[in-house]
Amino acid sequence: MTGMSSSKSYSANGTLAMHRVGSAGNTSNSSRPRKEKRLTYVLNDADDSKHCAGVNCLTILKDSPTDSCNYLFTGSRDGTLKRWLLTDDEASCSATFESHVDWVNDAVLAGNTLVSCSSDTTVKMWNCLSDGACTRTLRQHSDYVICLAAAGKNSNIVASGGLGGEVFIWDIEAALLPVTKSVDAAEDESSNGLSSSGNGLPLTSLRTVNSSNNIPVHNNPPHSYNPVAAKGHKDSVYALAMNDTGSLLVSGGTEKVVRVWDPRTGSKNMKLRGHTDNIRALLIDSSGRFCLSGSSDSMIRLWDLGQQRCVHSYAVHTDSVWALASTPTFSHVYSGGRDLSVYLTDLSTRESVLLCKKDHPVLQLALQDDSIWVASTDSSVYRWPAEGCNPQKVFQRGGSFLAGNLSFSRARASLEGSAPAPVFKEPSMTIPGIPGIVQHEILNNRRRVLTKDAAGSVKLWDITRGIVIEDYGKVDFEEKKQALFEMVSIPAWFTMDTRLGSLSVHLDTPQCFSAEMYAADLNILGAAEDHKINLAQESLRGLLAHWMAKRRQRIGAQASSNGDISSARDISLRNLSHSRIEVDDTSENHNTAVLPAFEFSTVSPPSIITEGHGTYGGPWRKKITDLDGTEDEKDFPWWCLDCVLNGRMPPRENTKCSFYLHPCEGSTIPVITQGKLSAPRILRIHKVINYVIEKIVLDKPLDGGSSDGTFGLGLSAGQSQLSSIGDGSLRSGLKPWQKVKPSIEILCNNQVLSPEMSLATVRAYIWKKPEDLVLNYRLQHSR
Amino acid sequence: MGAAGSKLEKALGDQFPEGERYFGLENFGNTCYCNSVLQALYFCVPFREQLLEYYANNKNQGDPEENLLTCLADLFTQISSQKKKTGVIAPKRFVQRVKKENELFRSYMHQDAHEFLNFLLNELVDILEKESNATKVSSETSPSKKIANGPCHPQANGIRKEPLVTWVHKSFQGILTNETKCLRCETVTARDETFFDLSLDIEQNSSITSCLKNFSSTETLNAEDKFFCDKCCSLQEAQKRMKIKKPPSILVIHLKRFKYIEQLGRYKKLSYRVVFPLELKLSSTVNNSDLEYSLFAVVVHVGSGPNHGHYVSLVKSHNHWLFFDDESVEMIDESTVQTFFGSAQEYSSNTDHGYILFYESVGGKS
Repeated sequence: MTGMSSSKSYSANGTLAMHRVGSAGNTSNSSRPRKEKRLTYVLNDADDSKHCAGVNCLTILKDSPTDSCNYLFTGSRDGTLKRWLLTDDEASCSATFESHVDWVNDAVLAGNTLVSCSSDTTVKMWNCLSDGACTRTLRQHSDYVICLAAAGKNSNIVASGGLGGEVFIWDIEAALLPVTKSVDAAEDESSNGLSSSGNGLPLTSLRTVNSSNNIPVHNNPPHSYNPVAAKGHKDSVYALAMNDTGSLLVSGGTEKVVRVWDPRTGSKNMKLRGHTDNIRALLIDSSGRFCLSGSSDSMIRLWDLGQQRCVHSYAVHTDSVWALASTPTFSHVYSGGRDLSVYLTDLSTRESVLLCKKDHPVLQLALQDDSIWVASTDSSVYRWPAEGCNPQKVFQRGGSFLAGNLSFSRARASLEGSAPAPVFKEPSMTIPGIPGIVQHEILNNRRRVLTKDAAGSVKLWDITRGIVIEDYGKVDFEEKKQALFEMVSIPAWFTMDTRLGSLSVHLDTPQCFSAEMYAADLNILGAAEDHKINLAQESLRGLLAHWMAKRRQRIGAQASSNGDISSARDISLRNLSHSRIEVDDTSENHNTAVLPAFEFSTVSPPSIITEGHGTYGGPWRKKITDLDGTEDEKDFPWWCLDCVLNGRMPPRENTKCSFYLHPCEGSTIPVITQGKLSAPRILRIHKVINYVIEKIVLDKPLDGGSSDGTFGLGLSAGQSQLSSIGDGSLRSGLKPWQKVKPSIEILCNNQVLSPEMSLATVRAYIWKKPEDLVLNYRLQHSR
Repeated sequence: MGAAGSKLEKALGDQFPEGERYFGLENFGNTCYCNSVLQALYFCVPFREQLLEYYANNKNQGDPEENLLTCLADLFTQISSQKKKTGVIAPKRFVQRVKKENELFRSYMHQDAHEFLNFLLNELVDILEKESNATKVSSETSPSKKIANGPCHPQANGIRKEPLVTWVHKSFQGILTNETKCLRCETVTARDETFFDLSLDIEQNSSITSCLKNFSSTETLNAEDKFFCDKCCSLQEAQKRMKIKKPPSILVIHLKRFKYIEQLGRYKKLSYRVVFPLELKLSSTVNNSDLEYSLFAVVVHVGSGPNHGHYVSLVKSHNHWLFFDDESVEMIDESTVQTFFGSAQEYSSNTDHGYILFYESVGGKS
């Protein structure tokens, strides 16, 4: 970055002007789409074998065809799915399926294909016994996909339902078929080849490609297969179920009715009324005659689809019913919900018993022989004894009651103090997770973030390294926040959310390039005193370091002969990299090296989420260490690559701060300047002090903009001595130079400023007005 | 003027209420929006009494600075202390003050009566709050030194965060609860909002009761307009509804008769027939009780468009209905009130439509 010639030059009208080197090349981009794609990185905690947010779904693979082992698959709000190898007393994580960019809401197995759906509006398919590569992404939905249903005996059919009332029925085999057009094969994420199209495009046309890609993807399905749509829902769908043969599909949601469909044609069969609130869980028996529904009205209903009527309603829960699982013969149902409880109910005798109760609302249940797996808003998954093969055994332990048939009869019963004791007190197995982050506060230095997780632990993160730098344990979040308060003002260069249970840092251009720091403050050895670092640029370099290394290897091997150097402006990224590598490796080596303060952990590498539309056909997520170098300009936002490869950043407006410098009232010090001054926002007050000394005391004429870095607020011979002494000595008393030079202090709003404060900090915390900052100087009072 | 006065007096005869005054208000060029609202407020007896009491108390404190509150109090005192029982008064000082305070009302254009009422009530509250703060500061600063060594008063440390409840609040303020339920975790977030009036969307051939029902009906936040749930830390679908938590003692209902029509690019007056009953029941969510209200004033918009027309008011005083049209005051039959409901057909010769309704609480029933 020759930008450290962030030199201020003194122009004739008495103002300081900053010349931005390299801005000339960036002015012709007016045709850019209004909203650029965003780059997000998700900070992962150290342990990859744990979910770090609530578990929305689970499904079991019994006697796997390849190794006859039992596997559990879990899908989490952290955006990943995990496969657990089950033994009698242990579950070990054997794969992580990472590609969704939002909550995984549901997962089913269709033969060997694991199908998952997410709030990222996609349905994804994976080979369930693979190491976690996504084999197909289906982008038919336009809103969150909430639920899936598979046909037990017809492993080809899967239905997906979601918000906006969208329900699609997929033929898995057809959806997985390789698509005829070779370009579209790029949709297959396991393919490793460089996409052949679009690589030779010049940078300018690259941008138009990007802008045209703003058309939503689902308008332009990348493959020819189209699913059957079950049309006619008036409202969002929150639950689906299908019978074994795939001839019957039921759906439920905020419409409060159970709808019955023929999934082969998408035609409506009937509508069943009875629930008075959202329907959140559905089951069909293997014959397709009976259907069970669980609702936010706290009721479970049994429907006879042949007679088209409700035959039983069970008031078991004291709050919303969110999960149902039945015994193979459909004689008993396990149910869980918002009341944290799992009940077992005999569907014919209406006898019910509280099986277990833990600390979190129950989201899904899966029976495995005599055990039941419980997924909840907790990141841990629990297995409880359930006697699924012989449920009568549970009732023999006592504590059962007869389920009423009126809603809230149970709520009343529990209020009256007759709440039953759970049959089982402790789970038989726990798959531990990491408590998700539920609260965060970005600290003023805009590099540290204080978080609190679901277990109450407060931690301090360094987001430019992606690591926890301090674990405070269970302390008061607000108190800790106040204790860490620093009076500094740095522009908000990123935004952040915690919906995945971990920190997601969003970078948007051009705002993300607004924050700068002095290299010296990051303890960078050998950095010039006023060398400035752009936080986003260095972070991007840190994030893409692995990608750069892989890419260099790839291209170095591939194209050693291609050495044409075009003009920097309309060079294609591809060509650029050919020619640039050499440049990078030689003269600008300093540029590509990742600074220690921006080195991301390789033990728990962050994941990148981009909205790129390249080989992935839509948003995708990958660990930074898993980037293989094939990802190109269509996979990353162009501005990230422009920054990392070319060192170019968009024009930045707010890196400067205007101010007036006047003597204090009554001060005998002469007026040194009348006009407005301009300097970097991060300029320290001690530089202003130097400037004043320089101007009035040494009375050294400043030759207007003669050379970079020699002027007033920059460096001059006398001042470099000063800066090498350091800030502390400025305040601490008599140094040799002070005997000859008077001490100057700077004030703002009649308050003496610490020499370490930056102009931005003074403006934000002392000046506190929208007008241009006014600073005053005077001789320091003797102490 | 004398003739109009005597006519009303004759009509009332022996039934002329003791101590009551019925005075028309002079129009200073399109100030009917102001006159109609002033009449409705004057015959809002609890409000008038509080204002006159305030005036009486403040008069003793020497010469207070003129503001909207003192001008209004002046005007009401002027009316109530007239020797004659009927006549016309020129609310000159008040109107001048209004124009001085708010440039919106400075022109001679047709103004919105609801906007004026809103401005007036908020301005009165601001003035009362400022006065209260001023007295609090002066009364707190002097004794604070004495307290310093004495016993610690709990009030001295406790900073009063609750907003001041003035007598304007006591009459007009109600509390709405804005309930949002996340459809994922089903957590209900409730936020209370205070109001001085309820602005209701209206439909053709409807009633206040049905408009109130629509007002508190459930709305789903979905698609591009999802709700950020703090519990889920993400955007989710949610259901939102407004409930009346604390009904006010004076319920002011504003019918949204002026609607922006996008195709036309301008506002249009909806002349819909909206039945407003003389007695209204309102249910409160707090104790599931029904509050009964009785209609006592209606500000009527006369005319077919939003940018021109006229405002008059209907007022019930001592069981008589009176019709105030700037300077003139007439007695009308109670049955006449229903001619101001609106028209069932779009183009009708009847352009006099109830616009702001004033109901007073007549005690609750559980």
